[in-house]
Amino acid sequence: MARKTHDVLSVEWVRLELLRTAYSTRGGLFSRMDPRMVLAWYVLLALAPWFTHNLTVLIGMFLLGVISVALARVGPLVLGLFVFGVGADVIGLFVASFLFGGDLTTLIALAELNLKLGAVSMASMAAFVSLDPEKLSDALLSLRAPELLAFGVSYGYRMLPILVDEYVTVFEGQRLRHAPPPTRGLLGWRVILTWCVLAVTAFYPIMLNTAKNVRTTVEALETRGFTYGTNNPAGRALRLAYLKVTALDVAVLAASALAVVGAYWLGAQFPLHR
Amino acid sequence: MQTIPSTTRLATADPEQAASAPGTAPVIVVKDLSFRYPGADRDTLRNVDLTIERGDFVAVVGGNGSAKTTLCKTFNGLVPHYWNGDFAGHVHVGGQDTWDSTVAELSSRVGYVYQDFQNQLVRPTVRDEIAFGPLNFGHEDYRERTEEALAQLGIAHLRDSFVWQLSGGQAHLVALAAVLALRPEVIVVDEPVAELDPARAREIYLRLRDLNENHGITVITIEHHAEFVAEFASSVVLMADGAPVWHLPVQQAMDRHQDLQAHGIPAPDAVSLTAAVGEEPVALDVSSAAAMLRPYVHERSTEVPVARAEPAPAAEVVASLRGVHHGYRSVSGGLCPVLVDLDLDLHSGERIALVGTNGAGKTTLMKLLTGLAVPRAGTLTVDGIDTRSRSAARLADHVAYLYQHPQRMFLKDTVRADVALFPVGRRLPDAQQLVDEVVERVGLTSLADRDGRALSGGQQRRATIAIGLAMRPSLLLLDEPTSSLDVRSRHDVTSMLDSLAETVRCAVVATHDMELVATWATRVIVLDQGRVLADVSPRELFSTPEVTAQARLVPPQAARIARELDLEPLALTAAELLTRLRTSASSTARPARSPSEDR
Repeated sequence: MARKTHDVLSVEWVRLELLRTAYSTRGGLFSRMDPRMVLAWYVLLALAPWFTHNLTVLIGMFLLGVISVALARVGPLVLGLFVFGVGADVIGLFVASFLFGGDLTTLIALAELNLKLGAVSMASMAAFVSLDPEKLSDALLSLRAPELLAFGVSYGYRMLPILVDEYVTVFEGQRLRHAPPPTRGLLGWRVILTWCVLAVTAFYPIMLNTAKNVRTTVEALETRGFTYGTNNPAGRALRLAYLKVTALDVAVLAASALAVVGAYWLGAQFPLHR
Repeated sequence: MQTIPSTTRLATADPEQAASAPGTAPVIVVKDLSFRYPGADRDTLRNVDLTIERGDFVAVVGGNGSAKTTLCKTFNGLVPHYWNGDFAGHVHVGGQDTWDSTVAELSSRVGYVYQDFQNQLVRPTVRDEIAFGPLNFGHEDYRERTEEALAQLGIAHLRDSFVWQLSGGQAHLVALAAVLALRPEVIVVDEPVAELDPARAREIYLRLRDLNENHGITVITIEHHAEFVAEFASSVVLMADGAPVWHLPVQQAMDRHQDLQAHGIPAPDAVSLTAAVGEEPVALDVSSAAAMLRPYVHERSTEVPVARAEPAPAAEVVASLRGVHHGYRSVSGGLCPVLVDLDLDLHSGERIALVGTNGAGKTTLMKLLTGLAVPRAGTLTVDGIDTRSRSAARLADHVAYLYQHPQRMFLKDTVRADVALFPVGRRLPDAQQLVDEVVERVGLTSLADRDGRALSGGQQRRATIAIGLAMRPSLLLLDEPTSSLDVRSRHDVTSMLDSLAETVRCAVVATHDMELVATWATRVIVLDQGRVLADVSPRELFSTPEVTAQARLVPPQAARIARELDLEPLALTAAELLTRLRTSASSTARPARSPSEDR
């Protein structure tokens, strides 16, 4: 079997997709909004589905989720994982119910939960794909989250690409230096098992290396006034001065609220319960 | 606390001796300073007396464990406020006693750039990183400060980059800018050369000189490379055993090159050569060294150059590339070409140095040779095997690749287990014996049961070389084996590279280290924008200034001096150059050893 370079579904692709998602490089409607408003929008869409059992409303919310995902330009990796997750869930439950003497009506009975979960998941994807680390951390700070949490979020983003890089290097080393399984086994299960073991054990060196590296980080934070800043509100005010609610924010939030109300209204007109 | 009487100090630091700008108060005054880390059984700093004048450019030199870094951490208050320990004596910075101050207060006076500066960057984007300090301190002009720092270092174009996109040199400048944004009076830079290639390190030094001369900032660098010290510093502090031996203007410091040598700091070639011919004061840089040495040249061209080790034309091909193209996807989705239409044959018995700027394609070429990636077009064979036809794990029987960061190669919890991983996993019959042999060869037998991460930099490198040797490859690939090593460990590693030829058929080293190229390689492949710019012997490479300039390579100092002297063929090392000079006392006085002669 000749090997070739794959541009999708390769380790490298996963790495790039993670970066594109985390740093919201694809742009999209919500990335132009004030981060606090994005969080407010998210709270609205994430809570709304939980107050009803009416399938009409839930279908409406689900569609709203689909539109948000399209507007936010969610990448293929995250979207693929979501579709795979929901699909596997539905099929798995269906098979299980079928084995225990259920039929198609069981599936409809399960639709309510899946629609709710789907709607909430899509809202989460849309919101967090659109928030780059700086914005997310500033939004948290401005909503009075603890300084350490806000900093932690942004530091996590800063470390993510480096850790991914390091992980890839260690994993490559594992592949090269561990003996490949002598035979592939049925459907290549031996190969898959080896890969899984290597993928998990690759975390061990990384954790040790990181523990060693952060010593400098902690010292550097001290010299750059992090502790001083947490005790002095002036810096916080300065940092957040740029946050401003614009017409776009109001419009998006109003339109979303209207859509949610609309869904509930439609649900009242054409109620659909199982 | 109990202070140990200092018996090791050879001379007391005398403020009057230091290069001083008259009429201004010194910026740092250290008096009777002793410090002991908590839990340590002896003082790290011992009765230090030191004065640093405002506007000075100070290099702190000294062997490993001479407490250079600890000394510099007393300037910004990390010692004693962050590192609590037994602290005696006084440190005054700009008139302020650090004992009565805080790290936060002092950070607007003294900026500190760490040796592992990558870990110093804490925010995702460059702009945010630089504004972080000023924002924490509530400076309303944080935007101006950010722009000012970016402009001072000439990196305004990096403003919106993500920190992880930066190259090593750029990351160092960003760390420096983040420190500058607090408008400090003093900047401490810990070993800028350690993690950067010499050309980038030079850029950093030029920036530091600019900050020093045009912005009045006092610069303190901790430095192992005497070449940079001689060229850029105006005064030198030699540290030994927790106290300064002396603090002298740079010329006097270099004249005492035997002192430096005795403390593990080999003199730069310019100094050792001019000292060898008996010139006093010694030359500090290439052009003055050339001017001084010119009268001593007795053979401008000679018929007996050092024998060129060129491979026999019939040498076996170990790896071959035909029309190889490769590229990678960027975050924005575009395809960046890295290697363009490469045709190369690597023969057995060759020691190949792969050189070129960052991004020239060195690492990509190595990844292709290991089979971790396969070329997008063209074919690549190793030991006659097309890399497309085997998995990387199976190709590992033929190729071993040693990463630039040794700690990423430690997968197990002891060095021995890491070395054994490959041969034992493949059930080689003589695996245990092989492991013992290899560990013995790299001189790590006594440390074999320790975790690789706990070793020093040089030991870590040797451990990774052992890992590579235990794989018994035909082709051994090493990525930057001498980076971030102090001079002594560097020597250990290079002498180990010398003995590789006995076990591996062909060794390829990707490196920025031109001294290594000059002394170790038999063939140099210069990559530039994914193409082969030159494929020559080291001597030819350093004799061709057009190529070195285009690939941004800085030849070893001895070779640069030899070029200015128009020696033909070019001398590459100080030892070689010396044979072409008429030394008055050549039979009695040997020059101070330089790193290139050590090999």
